[in-house]
Amino acid sequence: MIAAAIILTGIGTYAMRAFFIFALARYTFPPLMLRALEYVAPTVMAALVISMMTNTRGELTASWAEALGLVAAAVVAKFTGNHIFALLAGMGTFWVIRWII
Amino acid sequence: MDCLQLERANSSNYSNLGPTLVNMNKVVTSPFARGSLDALPLFIPAIPFAFVFGVVVANAGIPGWLGWSSSPIIFGGAIQVTLFTLLGEGASVAAAVSAALIVGARHLFYSLTLAPRFQDQPGWFRWVGSYVLIDQVFVLSQIKPIEEPQTFRRYFLAAGFTFWTLWMMFTALGVILGPAIPASWGVEFAAPVLFISLMMAASNRKDKLAAAALAMGIALAFSHLPHRTGILLAVAISVTVMLVARRWSS
Repeated sequence: MIAAAIILTGIGTYAMRAFFIFALARYTFPPLMLRALEYVAPTVMAALVISMMTNTRGELTASWAEALGLVAAAVVAKFTGNHIFALLAGMGTFWVIRWII
Repeated sequence: MDCLQLERANSSNYSNLGPTLVNMNKVVTSPFARGSLDALPLFIPAIPFAFVFGVVVANAGIPGWLGWSSSPIIFGGAIQVTLFTLLGEGASVAAAVSAALIVGARHLFYSLTLAPRFQDQPGWFRWVGSYVLIDQVFVLSQIKPIEEPQTFRRYFLAAGFTFWTLWMMFTALGVILGPAIPASWGVEFAAPVLFISLMMAASNRKDKLAAAALAMGIALAFSHLPHRTGILLAVAISVTVMLVARRWSS
């Protein structure tokens, strides 16, 4: 049963990843659609951050430490464009504030 | 001022790509090496997640090797964790599988967004590339817009399979070691920190940043919906709003 669940989920996940790549392999994308697709990456990342900061009841689980950690990471990412620096800034801020409070 | 800086950062990104990726005869760095090197730092937040995965598999009472087999078969952290959490709670196979797939439904957006880039690629790459189309690889492909098909393919595969190899190794460790990292350290917070950093990198224009901010608000408003469906709504609504706004302003 467990093996069946893993295989079914594997097939489903692969199908979702491959679906449009195969379905639209010969499709001419209208300019409006190409413009819309430019927004997918920033909006998915934004929504993922929020989903990680909320519980299943829709309540924010972030305290000041998390909130300021995310702000620090965003600022450092914007000015350095370096994910390691952003990670260090975000985690550093988070740990320091949590230690103070 | 802000806008100018973003524009400049953006154009310098493009010129950086030129010598490194297109003129490969003159520079040592190949797209394979670049893809691997770009994927490495993105894997750091996945390390605590791999240990969380190990704990979830153990708690569900599933043999380690069977739980680990989901890493090559599914290759999607959140999807794997959702599946085993629900199976562990006694959900039916149908319920657990469908919940896991809804959690992973954002991959349909990735597939749609990358479809134009895969049009000038050989058939085998559509099959193989789809397999490693995870969050991080998708964002990398969006942050570094590589025009040349072969360079794009090599970069994409290198990033994808670097991440894949590490995920196989660390989920194996996670299954064997279980809770090796104390929960009190809060290292799981590295995941949202990385994603906000990726969000900033993907928002190289003011309107993209606005779209991201809007998506955050919508995701928050819909965060009570089950299986992270709020993510899908946030993307669909904010992309539509941005298109309408662009139409209006032009």
